[in-house]
Amino acid sequence: MLYDLIIIGSGAAGLSAGIYAGRYRMKALIIGKEFGGETAKAGAILNYPGFQSVDGYELMDLMKQQAAKLNVETLDAEVASIKRQGHCFTVATGKKTYEAGVVIFAVGAERRRLGLPNEKELTGRGVHYCVTCDGPVYTGKTIAMVGGGDASVKGVILASEYAKKVFLIARRKKITAEPINLDYLQKLKDKTEIILETEVKEIIGKDKLEKIILSRPRKGSSELIIDGLFVEIGSVPSVSLAESLGVELDERGYVKVDNMMRTNVDGVFAAGDVVNHFGSFKQDIAAAAMGAVAATSAYNDHKIHG
Amino acid sequence: MAKITIYSTSACVYCKMAKAFFKEHNVAYEEKDVASDEKAREEMISKSSQMGVPVIDIDGQIVVGFDKEELSKLLGIE
Repeated sequence: MLYDLIIIGSGAAGLSAGIYAGRYRMKALIIGKEFGGETAKAGAILNYPGFQSVDGYELMDLMKQQAAKLNVETLDAEVASIKRQGHCFTVATGKKTYEAGVVIFAVGAERRRLGLPNEKELTGRGVHYCVTCDGPVYTGKTIAMVGGGDASVKGVILASEYAKKVFLIARRKKITAEPINLDYLQKLKDKTEIILETEVKEIIGKDKLEKIILSRPRKGSSELIIDGLFVEIGSVPSVSLAESLGVELDERGYVKVDNMMRTNVDGVFAAGDVVNHFGSFKQDIAAAAMGAVAATSAYNDHKIHG
Repeated sequence: MAKITIYSTSACVYCKMAKAFFKEHNVAYEEKDVASDEKAREEMISKSSQMGVPVIDIDGQIVVGFDKEELSKLLGIE
């Protein structure tokens, strides 16, 4: 099947790019491994302009519907490979191939794991990566959130609605989160405990998580007995497909783009969490803006070469 | 017709994806919210040893997470 544009990734950046491409009357296809990307898993979004509060999945679904009304197609599939021959890109999923004149990488980033023995075996059995999904299962239990950033603080706020006690374990001396979220966290101090300058060294448990070992003692012991461990330690950009086309990365491993979301490879654009355009500001509003700009650049490029 | 139970939580995206998949293929299912229903939570854990949602029971066969291929296979969906 031949398209003007293929967008890889169906999170906020990819869907926004799709909406703009649709308005440019491009024949566009969005291929996403996991619909909605990180936003779909975020729970309530409280800072997307125009919405007092909107569920992340619903927001992504609204964007998808908006793109569909503009005749943009979406496909739930993982892209296995991408090849370029001049201004013709061949994108292969497991079953089919699709061709397009230009492509946008909006593939986002993969959640970072702790990289500890036992982590994989106990995933879903005490070790989790989605507090929105699995937090409520720990109603009345004791859990720990690992990570010192905004996502982790938001996780603690959410989990404290269900859990009896929530530990926040952070490697650094200070928690870095949006001030409004730090204010919420402060209000929860009766059921939360912040453990700073500490890492999780071991995950212990046979069939399910039993306890963790901390890098330094808390109240005289390095053992912390918990029912659930939630990991929120950032993400790693998913760059392997882009790299296979010779797309240049920056010093931090993100896809390198100019201010119009162009990569160094002709006809290849990128947007969202796979680029470092707004630094650590990984927000839907930024992803949507980048997607819109990438679609505009893709449209201009396609006009010349299409 | 297969008896399907999905153990879910209200904000879980993979649960939403699984339910959307069932609806798309006109598959009837029963939903149990493990956040509010303690009995359902225990039932899910005893069936699957899992604390992560969704857990899907299709006539006694347990699928953990939203595994589209596995669900398609078990339900005979092309």
